[in-house]
Amino acid sequence: MTVTFPQKGLPWLLLLPQLLVTAIFFLWPAEQALEQAFYQEDAFGLSREFIGLENFAALFTDPLYYQSMLTTLVFSFSVAIVGMSLALLLAVMADRVIRGKLAYQTLLIWPYAVAPALAGVLWWILFDPSMGPIALWLKSAGVDWNHYLNGNQAMILVVIASTWKQISYNFLFFLAGLQAVPRSLIEAAAIDGASPFKRFWTIVFPLLSPTTFFLLVVNLVYAFFETFGVIDATTKGGPGQSTTTLVYKVFNDGFVGLDLGGSAAQSVVLMAIVGLMTVIQFRFIERKVQYS
Amino acid sequence: MTDVILEKVGKTYPNGYHAIPSVDLSIEEGEFIVLVGPSGCGKSTLLRMVAGLESISTGELRIRGERMNEKEPAERDIAMVFQNYALYPHMSVYDNMAYGLKNRGMAKNLIEEKVSDVAAMLGLTELLQRKPRQLSGGQRQRVAMGRAMVRDPKVFLFDEPLSNLDAKLRVQMRVEIRQLQRKLGTTTLYVTHDQVEAMTLADRLVVLNKGKAEQIGTPMDLYNKPATPFVAAFIGSPSMNLIDANLTEQGIKISEALTLPLSHQHRGGIVWGIRPEHLEVSDEHNADFALRILAVESLGAETLIHGKVETELGNGDPMVVRLSGPHLPDVNSLMWLTAPVLHWHLFDAKTQQRLRD
Amino acid sequence: MIENRPWLTFASHATLLMGIALVALPVWMALVASTHPASAFGAGHIPLWFGDAGAETWGTVLFEKAGNGVDTPVWFMMLNSLIMALGITFGKIAISLLSAYAIVFFRFPFRNLCFWIIFMTLMLPVEVRIVPTYEVVANLDLLNSYTGLTLPLIASATATFLFRQCFLSIPGELVEAARMDGAGPWRFFFDILLPLSRTNIAALFVILFIYGWNQYLWPLLITTDDAYYTLVMSIKRMLSVTDGDIAWNQIMATTLLAMLPPVAVVIGMQKLFVKGLVDSEK
Ligand SMILES: Nc1ncnc2c1ncn2[C@@H]1O[C@H](COP(=O)(O)OP(=O)(O)OP(=O)(O)O)[C@@H](O)[C@H]1O
Ligand SMILES: [Mg+2]
Repeated sequence: MTVTFPQKGLPWLLLLPQLLVTAIFFLWPAEQALEQAFYQEDAFGLSREFIGLENFAALFTDPLYYQSMLTTLVFSFSVAIVGMSLALLLAVMADRVIRGKLAYQTLLIWPYAVAPALAGVLWWILFDPSMGPIALWLKSAGVDWNHYLNGNQAMILVVIASTWKQISYNFLFFLAGLQAVPRSLIEAAAIDGASPFKRFWTIVFPLLSPTTFFLLVVNLVYAFFETFGVIDATTKGGPGQSTTTLVYKVFNDGFVGLDLGGSAAQSVVLMAIVGLMTVIQFRFIERKVQYS
Repeated sequence: MTDVILEKVGKTYPNGYHAIPSVDLSIEEGEFIVLVGPSGCGKSTLLRMVAGLESISTGELRIRGERMNEKEPAERDIAMVFQNYALYPHMSVYDNMAYGLKNRGMAKNLIEEKVSDVAAMLGLTELLQRKPRQLSGGQRQRVAMGRAMVRDPKVFLFDEPLSNLDAKLRVQMRVEIRQLQRKLGTTTLYVTHDQVEAMTLADRLVVLNKGKAEQIGTPMDLYNKPATPFVAAFIGSPSMNLIDANLTEQGIKISEALTLPLSHQHRGGIVWGIRPEHLEVSDEHNADFALRILAVESLGAETLIHGKVETELGNGDPMVVRLSGPHLPDVNSLMWLTAPVLHWHLFDAKTQQRLRD
Repeated sequence: MIENRPWLTFASHATLLMGIALVALPVWMALVASTHPASAFGAGHIPLWFGDAGAETWGTVLFEKAGNGVDTPVWFMMLNSLIMALGITFGKIAISLLSAYAIVFFRFPFRNLCFWIIFMTLMLPVEVRIVPTYEVVANLDLLNSYTGLTLPLIASATATFLFRQCFLSIPGELVEAARMDGAGPWRFFFDILLPLSRTNIAALFVILFIYGWNQYLWPLLITTDDAYYTLVMSIKRMLSVTDGDIAWNQIMATTLLAMLPPVAVVIGMQKLFVKGLVDSEK
């Protein structure tokens, strides 16, 4: 039970700024998207025509949209899995060392602060086909690297840049998770004769599963929405459509292609996806709260 | 002069729970009233209604003749000491004590004077610059009291202020609170569920049971003439022995085999009670009954003997005897007891009211 | 460690060092690249060690113009970025503190509805509703303005929940004590609540500052006037020149300067940063 103040009008005053901003910049646009999704509008917004579900129908019969979905899935899971594996490895090592833990942490977490677009640019020059040292080194090793032309390579580039930025986040949470594993369990396993590797896979990793699941969701959300800058600054969704994720496509179709109805329909679909992800995330948090 | 009056004060919580049906209480100026009762009986609810932290659903509260129901806590001229002290963790002891005065717009030098006076009285002068987390439990308790005292309120309210202290400190603070209250002469309403605390502190006690005031009176009133079996059991340690019985022409029929002679015009089901300290050891011939001993608790200065009333028909009601000094009777042996009529308490089983002696 | 295996300890350190090197690699390259003249980036190679044009490049981008079609100097865009970042940060913290305060410490009709409305903003990241939001902001005539840069981004469910959590953990008795001491809602807010939440506020500040500074898509869309260019988005404009003409040295210097402030914040306030990250994900 919390104690409350008796005023009746004041709370509305306190909520007003948040509610106003939410209404004007969140709910109104969301409503507009919803509305627009049912109309066809010419590029100048001069005329519009109600077309019902046609925008959605067009969307779901468009092979490019499915391709973009696939791209998003490949991209997101690659970012999540690569990032989490590397971070887990580093976190396990950092948890093992006694000296310099904090220094290692400091040197590993700073990429979190780098804007996605900048992360993209930084990796771009390493992989630039004509002058990037890694690209040149790959060429000398027989790999013809050119992410301007090769869709898979473009995908690899954006995955690397996006992962790089997210490793710090995963690292911190894995490290916290590892430090929360009761020492006594590990000691008991050691007395039972389990080797360090065995101990990790049979004791520590299962105990980390809530953290792992949580990070999986967070990473997917990150890859879905926050990597726009990486893609826009490096590949611009190309070559072809090979790095056009759903979020990039909303932007691209809306602002570049000026297909407002189609873009709005995509927005609506994305909102549904985010809603679903939020619910999953919350379910998980609820459970975590119950257990702790 | 009557200082605080509760007239048919009742509380229904928003969820519909009827915590307090109706309580009447008038408190004299300077009086120390203790609200006592088992957990959940509504002590805090009543106190918080006086404080203004809970709204009063029915009835009226008056302080010095003025109706208080609609007043904000800060306007009631009361001060409260909380169970967890509720010291502002980010403020120094000085600021904690001065905060209420500052909010009332008192001049700075007056505040300083006031706080240092009270601090000196409570032995807090050295600690004024510390933060609450740098204090011991007893010191925090004192600061909480100091915060209440600087305001010179008409009424002090305490909600189980000692329950977070260890036993020894509790006794010490109890004495201190009593002395301070005497010295300041401030009307005080004090909540506790510890009956020893209640007995030692109170001028008058209010025993609450399920939101109802079972009895209001001085500690000795309550001890000598409890109005109901509930009060009888609640006041005194160990509790009074209470046995369901029947009042007949022969006397108090405790079981088929045991009747204690008494002439009383009342007939029917009663509760018969006698305090453990009023039972006397006797011999087979003079005794009223025998006790089969089940356990002996030796505390040095006194001995508590737990047993069951022995009759030919087997063991009957449980009973506790309190003897002064050390005794070492064998467990399972019999102990002969007399129960002097003078110390009997009779309650009507149906109405739960004390029967006139 | 449970058993002493020197090689394992060694392997741990080695892995960590490799990780650090890998993480630092692109920044190292950028640093090196920014010290060479633009002409050094010919086809077929990129310099691998520091050159001697560093001071000149950095000086140019910082004080004259960032180059590659962006004629604004970096210091000026830094100022814009700072205004935007601080505007977003303070805005989010302020309105979230107020709404959490209202939700926790007052009872009023539709309280739950308000809570859910705020909650819904979680489901509507700006990237998802980018086109209509742009239109709304354009309708309100907020393009090319600081208000347009910050205001649409300051609603925050995360911050509201965080403060709500923090307020709920404040013991009720403390609130009652304050009321008895004659503190009304505002006094309570400023004298008790704010001081008690200051580490939470500070931790959130760090996270939100990074969030605000790193805004990319939003400023890119709504600023066409270079008086409002922010540093992070200017990179995109710089990259828009035709491929062969990109002055990589300037881009790298600008990139490094753009990431410097938030990275400095993370490293300098590491404890608060970690706390903020953990708190805001709860
Ligand atoms: N806000 C509330 N809403 C509904 N019921 C409540 C509320 N607060 C208390 N109660 C109920 O009212 C009754 C009296 O509560 P109160 O806190 O006064 O008890 P108490 O005598 O102080 O007990 P304790 O000794 O445990 O502190 C309890 O049954 C409790 O569950
Ligand atoms: Mg209570």
